[in-house]
Amino acid sequence: MSGDRNQLRPEDLIGAINAAYGNFDREIERLPDTSESLEAAEKHLRELQDLRIKYLGKKSELATQKKLIRSIDPTRRGEAGSNIQKFEQTITQRIVDKEQALKHFIENARVERESIDVTLPGRRPRPGHLHPITLMRQRIEDIFVSLGYAVEDDREIETDFYNFDALNIPEGHPARDPQDTFYTTDGFALRSQTSTVQIHAMQRRGAPVRMIAPGRVFRRDTPDPTHNPMFYQVEGLCVDRGITMAHLKGTLAEFVQRLFGLETKTRFRPSYFPFTEPSAEVDYSCFSCGGPGCRICKWSGWIELGGSGMVHPNVLRAANVDTEEFTGFAFGLGIDRTCARIYQLDDIRLLFENDVRFLEQFR
Amino acid sequence: MLISYNWLRELTDTKLSPQELRERLTNVGLAVDAVEERDADYVLDVEVPSNRGDCLSHVGIARELAVIENAGVQSPKSQIENANGKTSDFASVEIRDPDLCPRYAARIVRGVKIAPSPEWLRKRLEVLGQRPINNVADITNYVLHELGQPLHAFDLAKLTESRIIVRCAEKDETITTLDGVERNLDKEMLVIADARRPVAVAGVMGGEDSEISNATTDVLIESAYFDPASVRRTAKLLGLHTEASHRFERGTDPEGVSQAQERCVALICEIAGGVATEDALDVYPTRKDKKIVSIRPERVEAITSLSVPTAESVRILKSLGFSLSEEASARLTFTVPSWRHDVAIEEDLIEEVARHTGYDRIGTELPPSSLSGEYHSRERHKRALRRSLSALGFDEAINLSFIELTNDFDLIPEFGGLSEDNLVTLTNPIVEEASRMRQTLLPGLLNSIRHNINHGIRDVCLFELGRLFVANEPGQLPREREALALAATGGAVAADRAQADRELDFFDLKGALEAGVTAMNLPPLDFASAEVIHLQPGQAAEISFNGVRVGSIGRLAETIAGQFKFRQPIFIAEVDLTTLLEIEELPVLYSPLPRFPSILRDVSLLLDRKITVAELLRAVHDQKVEHFVGAKFVGTYEGEGIPEGKRSVTLRFEYRADDRTLRDEEVDELHWPLVKALQENFNAEVR
Repeated sequence: MSGDRNQLRPEDLIGAINAAYGNFDREIERLPDTSESLEAAEKHLRELQDLRIKYLGKKSELATQKKLIRSIDPTRRGEAGSNIQKFEQTITQRIVDKEQALKHFIENARVERESIDVTLPGRRPRPGHLHPITLMRQRIEDIFVSLGYAVEDDREIETDFYNFDALNIPEGHPARDPQDTFYTTDGFALRSQTSTVQIHAMQRRGAPVRMIAPGRVFRRDTPDPTHNPMFYQVEGLCVDRGITMAHLKGTLAEFVQRLFGLETKTRFRPSYFPFTEPSAEVDYSCFSCGGPGCRICKWSGWIELGGSGMVHPNVLRAANVDTEEFTGFAFGLGIDRTCARIYQLDDIRLLFENDVRFLEQFR
Repeated sequence: MLISYNWLRELTDTKLSPQELRERLTNVGLAVDAVEERDADYVLDVEVPSNRGDCLSHVGIARELAVIENAGVQSPKSQIENANGKTSDFASVEIRDPDLCPRYAARIVRGVKIAPSPEWLRKRLEVLGQRPINNVADITNYVLHELGQPLHAFDLAKLTESRIIVRCAEKDETITTLDGVERNLDKEMLVIADARRPVAVAGVMGGEDSEISNATTDVLIESAYFDPASVRRTAKLLGLHTEASHRFERGTDPEGVSQAQERCVALICEIAGGVATEDALDVYPTRKDKKIVSIRPERVEAITSLSVPTAESVRILKSLGFSLSEEASARLTFTVPSWRHDVAIEEDLIEEVARHTGYDRIGTELPPSSLSGEYHSRERHKRALRRSLSALGFDEAINLSFIELTNDFDLIPEFGGLSEDNLVTLTNPIVEEASRMRQTLLPGLLNSIRHNINHGIRDVCLFELGRLFVANEPGQLPREREALALAATGGAVAADRAQADRELDFFDLKGALEAGVTAMNLPPLDFASAEVIHLQPGQAAEISFNGVRVGSIGRLAETIAGQFKFRQPIFIAEVDLTTLLEIEELPVLYSPLPRFPSILRDVSLLLDRKITVAELLRAVHDQKVEHFVGAKFVGTYEGEGIPEGKRSVTLRFEYRADDRTLRDEEVDELHWPLVKALQENFNAEVR
């Protein structure tokens, strides 16, 4: 080998590198893999980047020495190259390992910091609630509309004709007594049943007709846990050719099954109402106990639904319906009372107090 | 009504147990509420329908039982021995008002010995919860429960001139009834009087003066038929509900008067001794015609769907006391028994046949479908309204229709100005103060808010849909309209959170109302500052649609808030829902989506505080500028840096072309003249 003085040897390069990288170990070991805080870890990561520039950057000793490989004797250049490469790999690996450890820590710290308590309440306004009477009325309307009934309504202050005469409630009948029915100073009556709508509907639509009339009615009852001077009723009417009591039974049986469940049974008892003949009181089997008796059905197994019957011919005549051609049935039930039963409400005065703690129980 | 099982058995030989009886009677329409074992007997509590006065006795129930068991009723025997003298020799009877008393029969028993009743009689009454008094009184009571005919026994010696006069009471007349209470009578109350004074309130209760006492020897037994409506009125006015009035009110049997009297007199002779007169002094000027009703056998099936053999229909009716007076193939004609006031037409007979055949034997089927169902025409809108208001946190309230007289509220415009004349007033309210039909929903809602605040709930949002009433021309029905009212107070509370984010204000209520209107797909409402009696000046608005006023909204006036003892602001609104629902729904039509982006420009204008945002926006939209799509409200600012009496309003203008993306310079050329016009119109500065 010639003695060219200027000829560099691999040892020269490695020597220079070793001299320049003497502090590398200390500097990188100074950076911990984990930190007490996200911020500290981020600072360490930045310091690590500085180290990378310092030891692997363009101005690093490694880069400088790499350029000198050309000046080495060609026969030893390979040796120099592979030594330097090995060294560079070692340094790079150390930095990458540290970087991964720090990034891993940072990512975890960030996730930890940004994690949420998923059990906190969702963000939405406090929902309002429809009145239980509205809810019940809508359920009842939905059932009867699907059975082919039109929903009707009419006046709440009525003439004697619609409130009494047309409903076959004669002069002198107790229902007409001012003790029971409210009157205005003009001599009109606050409707005491939504049956008034039967007459209006038959006059408007003629026969055949199928309608229900949910609405507000008034009776002079002093408020107590089971009475209000105002309550809600649904009146039903079906007038057609060939309508019989079997259709009445079938319709109400269908209704209670849809409202209270398919297992619900109905019972019809003879009764008396001026506007129907024959008349029947309708009971349904208790939705709570199903028969044996419980507190809700007062230990009888049955709950009263309401009154019903075949429309009295005088009522049909009052609405100009031919009583030989047409027959019909009618029924009436209390929405408030049905609410009280279903929700086990022991004082129906609560229905009109509008206490928010009461209203928000229904949906 | 209480029925003794043992007594019933004497009349019918029933083979049914008390429990079976309960079920069978219930099935024919005489609901038995309870069966109680009492003193070696069973007492049935029977609920008799109000039209079946004929069932208010043991014989009445026995008649129904006879049909059920296909058996008979054993009529009680009345054998009067040793009768002597004519009643007219001892007393006189005069009916002055035959409409109210169609029949009055008197009979006398002389020489009775008043004493406690024998054991069997006392027991009969005690089982039914009746207190035994003395033998004569107990016998009249016994016959009442046996036959359903109320009777009264007078001490003959106490009747002035031994006269019975059935007449209406005179003005200021009084009577002390058997219960020791002195009662004022009016001119429409029927009384039994002697020559001098009333001695009984007809059909209701006897007088103390002529009562049977231990010294009584001669008794006059009254058996009569009184007009049901008259007895009902008198009993109600006197607040006296007696066994007698209960039966007379429901109609007793005018033809049963003699039988009951004979039964009573026979029992008196047997138990209390004495000699009866040979006859009754029976004043019965106009006998009622017997009612005749026909039934076509095929109508039973046409109405009830029950197929009942004609022979069975006839058996049921005959067994109930109807007599077949004519039988043709298509039509059976019956004479109605005198005790059945409730039967007048064919359907009544059909009911008799149906209930004794059994409602449980009627089939169950849906009527053949022939009509389609439909909701009330506005129900779809109302459901949308209710849903949107409840979604915004409003609870639905329902208040009574009755309110106190108040002049504190402006009404919905349809009802015009408030005056006491156009209030609908009740003659017979339950609570004297709440005698008006509501013309506004607001007092009811405010009461509801107060109720909640009183119970410690200060964040309350309520709405109500309900009818309002206003008087019409005299003689015409009141007008009815439906209104929507909202009320909000306290904080805006989020679900499941304890604390409100902020306090509610005017704009929460306005927003809720607007949301409801939008949910019904109606055009937007206009709001304009206005003076409204019940609202705080400066925080009140009238609501209109197309220039027609429909209601008001704002903060409740301090004066009214004071009356309700509210210590926090209350925001309320009321609109005429009937009018709103008459507005035609907006058509829903698709419009193509823009293909090019919009350019936005925000402008803050410093202007007089009195200039409303609505005015500004209207002025902006009135400018017809090419590519100008519209302007929207961003915000207002008052305070530091803004002179007193002024405010800054920021609007965002949007520009867009359909065929290209607008360049900034292009927009500037359109935008600044528009802003300049605003500046000049409103004397505004651009900030």
